Amino acid sequence: MDEDAPPPGSVVSVRRVPHTSIVRVLVDSFKLFRPGQQVRSPVMFCVYVLFLFLVGITLVPRVFPDLVGTYNPSYYLWITVILFLTLWFANVSTAIAEAQGRARADALRTIRSGIRARQVLPDGTTQWVPSDVLHVGDTVEIRPGEPVPMDGDVTQGAALIDEAMMTGESEPVTRESGGDKTSVLGGTQVLQGTARIRVTAVRGESFLDRLIRLVEGQGREPTPNELALGVLLSALTVALFTVVVTFVYLAHFTDIVTVDLGTIVALFVCLMPTTIGALLPAIGISGINRTARANVITKSGKAVEAAGDLDVLILDKTGTITVGNRLASQFVAAPGVPMPELLEGALLASSLDDTPEGRSIVRLAARRNAPTRRLEPGKFKVLPFTAERRMSGITLPDGVEVFKGSLQAMETYGAVLPLELRRAAAEASKEGMTPLAISFNRRAIGLVFLKDVVKPGIRDRLRELKTMGIRTIMCTGDNRLTAAAIARESGVDEYVAEARPESKLLLIDREKAKGRLVAMTGDGTNDAPALARADVGLAMNSGTSAAKEAGNMVDLDNDPTKLIEVVSIGKQLLITRGALTTFSITNDVAKYFAIIPAIFIGSGSATLPGIEIMNILGMTNPHLAVLSALLFNGLIIPILIPLAIVGVPFRPRSAIDLLRRNLILYGFGGLVSAFVGIKLLYLLLSYLSTTSFSAQVGGIVGHLLPLGGL
Amino acid sequence: MFDFRSVWDVVLLVGLVVAIAPWFGAYLGRVYMNRPAFGDAILAPIESALYRLLGTSPRSAMRSSEYMLAVLFVNGGVFVFLFVFLALQHALPLDATGAPNMHWTLAFHSAASFTTNTDFTHFTNESQLSLGALMVAWPLALFLSAATGLSVAAAMVRGFVRKDGTLGNFYVDLVRTMTRVLMPLAFLLALALVLLGVPETLTNYAIAHPLTGGTQTIYLGPVASFQAISFLGTNGGGFYSTNAASPLANPSAVSDLLGTFAMMLIPFSTPFAFGQIVRRKGEAWPFMGTILIVFAIALGLFVAYQAAVNPALAGLSGLGPQTAGYPVGQETRFGLTDGSLFQVVSVYTNTGANNMQIGALAPVAQLVLLFGMFTQSTPGGDGTGFGMLLLFAILGIFVGGLMVGRSPEYLGKKVGTGHVKWAALALLTHPALILVPFVLAVAGGFVTVASGSLPASAHTFTAVLYEFTSEAANNGSALGASSFNDTTWFFNIAGGLVMLLGRFVPIFAMLKVGGMFSEESVLPPGPGTLRTASATFTVYITLFLIIVSVLLFLPVIALGPLAQIVGGP
Repeated sequence: MDEDAPPPGSVVSVRRVPHTSIVRVLVDSFKLFRPGQQVRSPVMFCVYVLFLFLVGITLVPRVFPDLVGTYNPSYYLWITVILFLTLWFANVSTAIAEAQGRARADALRTIRSGIRARQVLPDGTTQWVPSDVLHVGDTVEIRPGEPVPMDGDVTQGAALIDEAMMTGESEPVTRESGGDKTSVLGGTQVLQGTARIRVTAVRGESFLDRLIRLVEGQGREPTPNELALGVLLSALTVALFTVVVTFVYLAHFTDIVTVDLGTIVALFVCLMPTTIGALLPAIGISGINRTARANVITKSGKAVEAAGDLDVLILDKTGTITVGNRLASQFVAAPGVPMPELLEGALLASSLDDTPEGRSIVRLAARRNAPTRRLEPGKFKVLPFTAERRMSGITLPDGVEVFKGSLQAMETYGAVLPLELRRAAAEASKEGMTPLAISFNRRAIGLVFLKDVVKPGIRDRLRELKTMGIRTIMCTGDNRLTAAAIARESGVDEYVAEARPESKLLLIDREKAKGRLVAMTGDGTNDAPALARADVGLAMNSGTSAAKEAGNMVDLDNDPTKLIEVVSIGKQLLITRGALTTFSITNDVAKYFAIIPAIFIGSGSATLPGIEIMNILGMTNPHLAVLSALLFNGLIIPILIPLAIVGVPFRPRSAIDLLRRNLILYGFGGLVSAFVGIKLLYLLLSYLSTTSFSAQVGGIVGHLLPLGGL
Repeated sequence: MFDFRSVWDVVLLVGLVVAIAPWFGAYLGRVYMNRPAFGDAILAPIESALYRLLGTSPRSAMRSSEYMLAVLFVNGGVFVFLFVFLALQHALPLDATGAPNMHWTLAFHSAASFTTNTDFTHFTNESQLSLGALMVAWPLALFLSAATGLSVAAAMVRGFVRKDGTLGNFYVDLVRTMTRVLMPLAFLLALALVLLGVPETLTNYAIAHPLTGGTQTIYLGPVASFQAISFLGTNGGGFYSTNAASPLANPSAVSDLLGTFAMMLIPFSTPFAFGQIVRRKGEAWPFMGTILIVFAIALGLFVAYQAAVNPALAGLSGLGPQTAGYPVGQETRFGLTDGSLFQVVSVYTNTGANNMQIGALAPVAQLVLLFGMFTQSTPGGDGTGFGMLLLFAILGIFVGGLMVGRSPEYLGKKVGTGHVKWAALALLTHPALILVPFVLAVAGGFVTVASGSLPASAHTFTAVLYEFTSEAANNGSALGASSFNDTTWFFNIAGGLVMLLGRFVPIFAMLKVGGMFSEESVLPPGPGTLRTASATFTVYITLFLIIVSVLLFLPVIALGPLAQIVGGP
């Protein structure tokens, strides 16, 4: 085998936003007319059957002479066309949602096509194999310029890897053996370094495959809430079917009014919850799409819905709530020491300290205009920081020792700490800060306080969680005082200080025992059991494979606060379903007020005062009244597609506020919009029919679908 | 006829009920929680003896299917007993007035009717019912059917506070309902009615010699005690055929108001019993609010349309000055408002006692009564009415819960596919039970609605609709048989089946739903939980109930009551 042959199959970087092809959507929307697809939604299947039935009548009206009464061909044709449109609109909504998912999946798939791997054989040599033949546990070598063939853990060496095609993150990441940064993703690109990785997933099971499957909607099981809503909609359909059929029979055979068959079909279709029935699949698919767009891989749609129900969120302090490093925040000079002297000391002690803490002291001192001194290279001695000594600093050319360190370390070193400084240090500790003493030749000149800095914006995000009714618990290894101070500053509801690795697990168990739904984020291997135990476990992509395997979601951006977005997506998913169901139901009321008076007027019975009250829309042409209600019923589907795909606007609020708001928006809105919409369509159709639709539009449409004869 | 001062009667009476309901409801709740309560000293030993007799104990709890079997066992027993008794009443003792044996179809209908708390009668008490049936068979059914309804509701509600899948013991619930609620109240009410002049005697009848000559047989018996349980148990079966319009059963305005109060007491208190059992008293108010809103709208519409000038009579010559209202069939002794209150309360509590001729009411007033039976839960009959309201609320909570972005839950219990399935089944069976038999009746030619003239057809339509609605809701009031003949075998069999299914399908659903809740663990209320004890939720549930009912029934309303309206509403 030629080891240095270039790897066949180049990697395409997929940065461009996947776009959905209109042609593909149109083709798919017609493919969805297959009965096998239609039968999935009981509500739409009813419309489908009625549509086929009407096609039959329109083709051979003589077969049903008794049912159709005085057969008006254009009326039946119009109803048939509108039913077709209703079904087609429903298909389009599903096709759009699927296309969006597929576009992303296709883009991802191109990354992987034809990748070959440099497998390490037991004798230590390597050979090229197609990545498909790899098994879990096989070792492969990765080199600069080559793609990572499979998800795996680095077992030897280190590499700089570009994960942009998977995560969209342009900054390359280092992956090395040992520790928590071992995992690599199949499909990413090696920039520098050579490493050996152990394959942890085979083709079909890697995160890439999982993501592709989910966005394509395969293996998307209906969630419990989706099932229950399906039951409710089916039950409503069956009940309304009974109501309509018996109504028609009774009306006909009790001589009160006679109802045309076309009108019956229109009435039934209008009453069925077609709006929500049509959009239900699109809502579910786009929920998954939205999580994928947020760069979160979910293992099931159920996990997204569960996120909407969360009660408790467990957050790490470091990296999630705080920026991760302590930063200098304040100087306190010892009695009798002028501030410039302290600043100078601090600057000197830290000038060669490369830790983030040291750099922050330099920055703060410079901002306070510390007097600077020129240090000649090689003329001074550096005392680096070690865990045992717990202090650092430099010895100047004149032999002066400028050190900084913890108070205990200073005492061990022999520095004298005035009482005032001790008192100030104790105060600072109480507020969660870490005091460091600075000394000139064993003379303490003052203190600098290091402070955990809360991430900008975290407070607002935590407040959002609170309005959504989610309690946050911060987990930290810090002492109680520091933890309390950070908790106060960031606004978390609760904290666990001096946490040990198993603390999170215990915390989850405690909360779950109270019946609460718990989420947590984590990246380390020791987080894995807790991630697995939590109802929603969001693992960081930078974390170990064990952590990613244990959680039910993986965030490709490594942003622990991403959970807030996932919660919002979960809630949006449920709200969209509930809101559109309410909308469907209140719409029906308006449709009744259009169709029932039309039936009475249409049967030629004397205008009844009781029915006149119902005719609040003031319609006089019964056929046009029925058609406008049916047309409204169909047109509302494409109008609401954006809402189904994007989700209803969601801002964190209390539950009762949300109910009130959505009730007014979708309940009352559904009622009013249907009345207004039906009336407007009626006016439009009336106008077209009086001005001779055929003449206006001309051509085939006008001749096939004449409105004048209605 | 409309006197504004009479509105005070309504306000005071409804106010009194609303004031007593929390207190009485809490008492009812304690009865079903088997807590030490007032009267234990006397009642506890009696109850223990009864439990031993029945071979049961308060400690043996039943799961929903076992509870259902017990309900069917007891009610089946009552049904068979009534059927045999009525079919053989002439051969049995105490048939002093010579009532003949009932035809088996009529016996079937009547037995179903009294077992299911409907008390819809296809016969005339005075000539077709033996005194034995009136004094032995009927009271048994009146008590047990009401006790069954209350027990089932209590069992369903227990599901919210239990975690072991059990719902309590039906026999224990039945006994305690009798000893703690129905018997003492019925005794007190009967006593009050006797004081107001209602007969209570073992004499069969008195012979009167009116001035017009000849003789008149005035039937007598234990009328007061019969009326008492008939009201309290929301049964509605009257001792007399003319029901509460008879001056012997309902001698004065005071007895009329007392009867109204007795019908309202238990159904209006049940939400508070619920609050007591689930240990969250505030949760009673959304249901009480829903009941009061729907009830107030209904009563307002009823009175307004009954007080308006009858447009059909306007402009006719020779009638003299036009009096306002629909005086035909109205019981003039009680006045428009008090009479209307009794009638609306009677239908809305699914009692079904009549003090006026429903067939003569304004079409909108008929519509108001029909609507009460469509919802059958505002407040509905003893126990089952609240159970239906809870089923409505569960569907509402499901849709509303989605709208707040959380998996729906109520009182810390998740509402899932199973609950939705059974609640939807119970609520959507109702229109089917009304409409399908109606179609069969028309298709089979058992009733001829078509008469050529529209208001007349619509009136007959309303009468048949009313018949099946009343039976499906286990109400018992009738629009008046004058419009069509409902004493045929078809209406007996169909009506009997409608009543049985209309009773036991929802009961099964209530127990199923309760059982499913009982198997779930309780989730603690978090800050994100939808607060159900709130005004927003009350309004939501009210609108949900009204809109769902309108969706299911508007078409037939249009064919019946609405088509009946002539010359302006």
